[in-house]
Amino acid sequence: MKIVLNHLHVQRGAWSLVAHGTFEEGIHLVSGAVGSGKSTLALAMAGLLTPVRGTVEREDTKSLMLSTQFPEFHITGLSVADECGSWGLDFKTVIRSAKLEIDGDASPLTLSRGELKRLHLACVLARQYDLLLLDEPFSSLDCTEKERLCRELSGRDSGITIIFTHEQSIFPRVDQLWEITGGELCALGRTPESLTRWQHAPVLVKKLIAAGRCPRNLTPGDIREAACRTHE
Amino acid sequence: MITIHALRFRSLAIDTLTIPPGITSVIGPNGSGKTTLLRLCAGIVVPDAGQIMIDGIPPRETETGWVNEFPDKNILFPRVYDECASALRFRHSPCHETDESVHRIVDTMKIRYLLSREMRVISGGEKVLVALAAALVTSPRLLILDEYDSHLDTTCCDHIENVIRNSGASYVIRCTQQMEIAAQSDHLLFLENGRVKYAGTPAEVFLSLSGTAFYPLSWRCGI
Repeated sequence: MKIVLNHLHVQRGAWSLVAHGTFEEGIHLVSGAVGSGKSTLALAMAGLLTPVRGTVEREDTKSLMLSTQFPEFHITGLSVADECGSWGLDFKTVIRSAKLEIDGDASPLTLSRGELKRLHLACVLARQYDLLLLDEPFSSLDCTEKERLCRELSGRDSGITIIFTHEQSIFPRVDQLWEITGGELCALGRTPESLTRWQHAPVLVKKLIAAGRCPRNLTPGDIREAACRTHE
Repeated sequence: MITIHALRFRSLAIDTLTIPPGITSVIGPNGSGKTTLLRLCAGIVVPDAGQIMIDGIPPRETETGWVNEFPDKNILFPRVYDECASALRFRHSPCHETDESVHRIVDTMKIRYLLSREMRVISGGEKVLVALAAALVTSPRLLILDEYDSHLDTTCCDHIENVIRNSGASYVIRCTQQMEIAAQSDHLLFLENGRVKYAGTPAEVFLSLSGTAFYPLSWRCGI
């Protein structure tokens, strides 16, 4: 199972992005500055945006899910129960997994942003997808929920998970790092070796590396473990 | 000072709260009432009971800049320039003054390259930056930012932190889920179940939150 970007070239006016590389099973993290094209790349990888040149080849990926940056883009139900039903899911099961205390008759658009994001992610993560594209999955989530989502993502043991994010503190286990710089997607390689090459690394990670204590991965536990090593 | 007295609005209840000038971050679990408090301070909604006063003036009579985390909800115009100029045009500012102000703010924010773009084609983070420019173009006394930072990269956040600090706004109230950013604030409020559970300096409030996911990771690591 893999997804191959074969000299992909997407363009919007004067802005363009070139991407070439292979995403294999595991958890991938794609970072980049504001406006670098992360969401555009996610759309292209999902087949929702036609490239100017190049191809996106999905091999043995029978199921695909794209979670967009803004959860209200996904809403189709007039009530929370309808919304869960539109995903083929039972309302009570979803709100239990999202740890929400909300009424099934409530309109999804009356929920707080964080609650709506949790509802949406619970619907997304209720099923296993071969290719899971998550665009800014941590935005709007409180810190407790970010950690819970990271534990859930870290536990995915099959399929390709690609996270496009600006998150700076709380990450799941990441197998492979990618970065968009200068209009081009760059494969930085596997963690932890790639962490030293990561221009958009969180300040905390950069400080740890500068102190000679590169974390083994990006989970809060890995960061704390590396920090403790600095105190030895 | 911003003073809040006997405030009641839906599930939010604040008996007494004083917010000094400076940058105040509002943190807390999802659904705790953070955005509701921000909307009340901005005068977007009015309380069911009680009052908010900003240096003795009600929110709706205060020059306020507002940035929504989902800027699509607030966009009025299709072109970035027009969006940035909107508040000045609504008050019938002379065209040349409007133009100067727009160019000054986009230069300060380093987003001049966006001016001729259409809102629908720019990224989520860029929309937040445009919304912030549109909010700052009138030099508001009160600036309210609702999770503006969740779509911005670190370098951008650092720059915007300086822009906000130097904006001239007497009060900045912002909601954030990035605890490293909250730690840079002058004051911190922690909301839970519609109540202000902790208020004080970041050091004071985070001391009460040690052992929780809200305690900044850099502080946990001693870095």
